[in-house]
Amino acid sequence: MAGLLISRRNLLLGAGGVLATSGLPLHMAWAEEAPRGGRLVVAADSEPRTLNPAIVASNGVFFIASKVIEPLAEAMMDGEGGLAPRLATSWEGSEDGLSITFKLREGVTWHDGAPFTSADVAFSAMEVWKPLQNLGRVVFANLDTVETPDAHTANFRFSAPTPIQLIRNALPVVTSVLPKHLYEGTDIAANPANKAPVGTGPFKFAEHRPGEYYRLTRNDAYWGEGLPKLDEIIFRVLPDRAAAASALEAGEIQLAAFSQVPLVDLERIANVPGLKVMTEGYEALTYQLVVEINHRNEILADRKVRQALSHAIDRDFVVDTVFLGYAQAATGPVPQNAPQFYNPDVKPYSFDIERANRLLDDAGYPRGEDGKRFSLRLLPAPFFSETRQFGDYLRQALGKVGIDVTLVNNDTPAHLKAVYTDHDFDISVGSPVFRGDPAISTTILVQSGIPDGVPFSNQGGYANAELDTIIDQAAETIDTEARTALYNDFQRIVVEDLPLINVAEWGFTTVARDTVLNVGNNPRWPVSNWADTALAS
Amino acid sequence: MNRVAGRLMRSPEGVAGFCLLVLLAAMALAAPLLFPGDPLVIVGRPLTAPFTDPALPLGTDRLGRDVAAGLMHGARTSLLVGLATALVALAAGALVGTVAGLAGGLVDEALMRVVDAFQIVPGFLLALAFVSVTGASLPVIILAIALGAWTGPARLVRAEVLSIRERDYVASARVIGMHPAEIALREVLPNALPPVLALTAVIVATAVLVEAALSFLGLGDPNVVTWGSMIAEGRNVLRTAPHLSIVPGLGLVATVLGVYLLGEGLADAMAGREARG
Repeated sequence: MAGLLISRRNLLLGAGGVLATSGLPLHMAWAEEAPRGGRLVVAADSEPRTLNPAIVASNGVFFIASKVIEPLAEAMMDGEGGLAPRLATSWEGSEDGLSITFKLREGVTWHDGAPFTSADVAFSAMEVWKPLQNLGRVVFANLDTVETPDAHTANFRFSAPTPIQLIRNALPVVTSVLPKHLYEGTDIAANPANKAPVGTGPFKFAEHRPGEYYRLTRNDAYWGEGLPKLDEIIFRVLPDRAAAASALEAGEIQLAAFSQVPLVDLERIANVPGLKVMTEGYEALTYQLVVEINHRNEILADRKVRQALSHAIDRDFVVDTVFLGYAQAATGPVPQNAPQFYNPDVKPYSFDIERANRLLDDAGYPRGEDGKRFSLRLLPAPFFSETRQFGDYLRQALGKVGIDVTLVNNDTPAHLKAVYTDHDFDISVGSPVFRGDPAISTTILVQSGIPDGVPFSNQGGYANAELDTIIDQAAETIDTEARTALYNDFQRIVVEDLPLINVAEWGFTTVARDTVLNVGNNPRWPVSNWADTALAS
Repeated sequence: MNRVAGRLMRSPEGVAGFCLLVLLAAMALAAPLLFPGDPLVIVGRPLTAPFTDPALPLGTDRLGRDVAAGLMHGARTSLLVGLATALVALAAGALVGTVAGLAGGLVDEALMRVVDAFQIVPGFLLALAFVSVTGASLPVIILAIALGAWTGPARLVRAEVLSIRERDYVASARVIGMHPAEIALREVLPNALPPVLALTAVIVATAVLVEAALSFLGLGDPNVVTWGSMIAEGRNVLRTAPHLSIVPGLGLVATVLGVYLLGEGLADAMAGREARG
């Protein structure tokens, strides 16, 4: 996990495929007529230590590597199951949930000319995704073997029933296929191809100048007909966020994704002729703003106190001022843009100071003579300026109901250690990611029995037998409807009992030149393969 | 003393510095009266422009906090950190310097090597490391900045002591059987201090700037408002709301300038020189 702590972008972990809520952007219609050729220059705010998305399935790695290395399937705005086939053309789960069969695309070659076969998929699954990958460890925990009856069929066999729904939702994120012939028999984590990846994608990795740029060039042998459109993609390393905005205005770069242009600059940038601000393309990359709670603190162990905290937060104010409107108030642990799972019938927590005060009085914490009830230590996560700002707001909001809050600021490693290893906090502000399926990285936030030190998990000492049962049951429920129903219960209980408080959910923004076509046309656009992205002449 | 004060008041630097500092001190003292309560409280619409709302003369920041309240309360923090750091640094420096100067020999050698060790590490880095390890609170920050500032006074005091201990009145004190500690505190230290006081201005000014820099980097105490943290907040909206950085920035400029000018005037006055120009 230590490797994930290095840069902020590495914390932006990937998300699974989700049916998108918004329709197709208008310019999708031009996809076919988009001109060929040209060089796209993109801002990159960090240089990941590895470019191997099969090991580190994080958005920072995908941003560059997804153009080179492809998954079995990619998320899609609409279409069957919200998935577009990539290296697999079809997938089918067995009735008992113990096997899934993938038909693989024929006539695909690796960038070095070797043919792509089912052996590559079997090798990636058994040697990389299951044992080494941050998310694959969870999703493929019960994967036993991968059989390859012929060169273009891979049959995944599981030791326990595994929901096809979960695998489908996880496909875009966890199934980046590596070339077996380059990795077999080597130390996979130290293979030189991790820095200069070889894949089947629309672009070949050309070079990396540390501190300057990454260069990808067109793969002329790509399997997609007439694709890719671009000749070259350059990722210019621009760690300073203010620099990306200026570089866009000056025309040095044509695109900046992942909100690299700060929110406060967007209004100004949107008025610059030739630049467009877009929020499309992040539908499956939803970040959640949450208040994590240490239930070891006996005051916070009282449900009434937690409910009072939730009532004391003005979610609309947070969306409008901290996120300047580029977010949505949250109702529960599953974001609203995941309609497959989202349960709208949960108890809402209105912004109601009187109610919060009453709940705190009822809980047995009346205001003292100085107007204060009790004191809490708040650790805002330093990952985003928004998490810090929300910390500042939360201190004020809780002060209004008589809770004296002391802020403790830490850098990223110290924050992770304090919250997830030492449990040295009362409340903290966190930013977990919803990755298309609650089982991937959401249930872990409230499940009990997680060892100390696992970041972005329940480290608040919360234990609820009812919730644990539902989570375990859902993990083995094959029937999609029954599984979804279980997760509806999961949301209802989390919102009622508040092991953590969901405040808002947000995506990111892309700023691009008008000449860049086909931007944001799939729900994980910045981390997809950009085969149809083009430049208008 | 009166003579020094008189000379100070005749030097333009001294007068300007004195006025600036009196103004800032008045701001710091009046802050809790004019803006009672927590200056970090959200009082209005976020990003209100200055001079548009009479209740919020300098506007509000991104969360709707009063910039004027921040400026006034920030003066408290800055001056407090500056003065407290100078006090700690002077006390520690004077102690080490006197002991080293009077004891001489091995003790002197050992103490001076410790001073060397602290002097070769840039003060800001030392403070940065100290705060990031121990966590930020006002006393820690004061200590952290003093950690890099006490070596100057220590060296200066030692040099003074070395010359003073050879004077006749020290010898006579020794002859009448005064305890060495008494000699150090009663006879030597008071006479060694004046030149060190001239260094105070530099220490205060540095401390104010280092504290602002720490806050700017997010290592300040997040529970009090400081000019550094206000500038850091404002930096994100520099293109759209520059006043959020400019207002506390002016406060910093005024403080450092005031301290420097007063220090300059004081040094001149104590040296018996008349104001130049």
